[in-house]
Amino acid sequence: MHGLFPSTSANAKMTGVTIEVDLADLIERIGAARDKAALAQLFGILAPKVKSMMLKRGACNALADDLVQETFLNVWRKAELYTPERGAVGTWIFTIARNLLIDHLRKQSSRPYEDLEGIKLESDLQLGIQLIEQKQVVERVSQAIETLSADHREVVRLSFMSELPHAAIAKRIGIPLGTVKSRLRLAYDRLRPLLEDLH
Amino acid sequence: MNAVHHPDITTLMAFSAGTLEEPFAVVVSTHIAMCPACGEMVRRTDLIGGALLSAEPEAAIDDRALDRLLAAADALDIERPEPRTARPDVPAPLSRYLPGGLDSVRWKFSGPGVATADLKSSKGTKARLLLLKVGAGRRVPEHGHGGHELTLILSGAYKDRFGTFAIGDLADHDEDVEHQPIAEPGEDCICLVAVDARLTFRSRLIRTLQPLFGL
Repeated sequence: MHGLFPSTSANAKMTGVTIEVDLADLIERIGAARDKAALAQLFGILAPKVKSMMLKRGACNALADDLVQETFLNVWRKAELYTPERGAVGTWIFTIARNLLIDHLRKQSSRPYEDLEGIKLESDLQLGIQLIEQKQVVERVSQAIETLSADHREVVRLSFMSELPHAAIAKRIGIPLGTVKSRLRLAYDRLRPLLEDLH
Repeated sequence: MNAVHHPDITTLMAFSAGTLEEPFAVVVSTHIAMCPACGEMVRRTDLIGGALLSAEPEAAIDDRALDRLLAAADALDIERPEPRTARPDVPAPLSRYLPGGLDSVRWKFSGPGVATADLKSSKGTKARLLLLKVGAGRRVPEHGHGGHELTLILSGAYKDRFGTFAIGDLADHDEDVEHQPIAEPGEDCICLVAVDARLTFRSRLIRTLQPLFGL
């Protein structure tokens, strides 16, 4: 796996890249060696961001702390199952945090997501899909999101970070549901070249 | 066999964001289990979440949180993934809601040639998950939608003004859509449906009977 992550990037502009190389390495150390120092390091880098996401999605401070704990316990438990086929580390942890929010905050079940994981992984392995350069992907997509118009960026953020359903976004901003959807569609079209260039 | 009709991109984005009501998430994940192309699409839409998470500001973490985590990690048994025992006639995401497979469904008469069966989902959801069976060659009364509706074909096929929908195809309809599906001859058409409002039928007779049929 290391061959995919050349670790020669050190200049300031490449900070995000360096972090992503470290993250994949940390997960591998957790999965292969139950390395608690690696878990502590990963927690230090990502826990404050995961907590911010929990707070935006409506968790109070205490619940947000608990869900952050639960997110990283899941990482500890499932690190062995992590492979680059699952996408960049940040994306994998986003999906773990999202599923916990569905279970604990919305009192619904994230089982439809969990049950799908096994199937997707099997088909990916059969197809030989490999994400190369994944360390750069998250950073590139983040930058592309910044280039969206303020209107488009707002609906994407409200959907993914504040976890507002499309109808609630329409109400919050005071625009028709159809406009929310057309903004999301346009945002996806703008991001599409990047997202399709993943492997 | 590849699906021809897929969820709208905004539905897949909502699936990745985690904002769909559970019945809708079940229908989308069951479709993805049958459609590798949409599995690939969701990998892309998940990435939007990963990118936004990476760009999040940093909230304050309690000093003792890390010690708590490491202590909890020590106490945790590492689980091995449970072996999958999905029934062959039902994709894995659906089998949890339909453990006995399609043969075990208790159908309820819902009109001439039409039967339904509600599937149980979590209490937190207001939307409804149901199976709909339309007899071969029979038509579903013309109806509109009071809200979002997702319909996934599990067996057989139907035709309406949007085209022919066969196994694995998903119809993603908004509240402003009216249509009249007709099951193709030869085989009953069984669909998995998520709705967040009652269907509204155009015929006054059907509207009167609607409460009886439970639609």
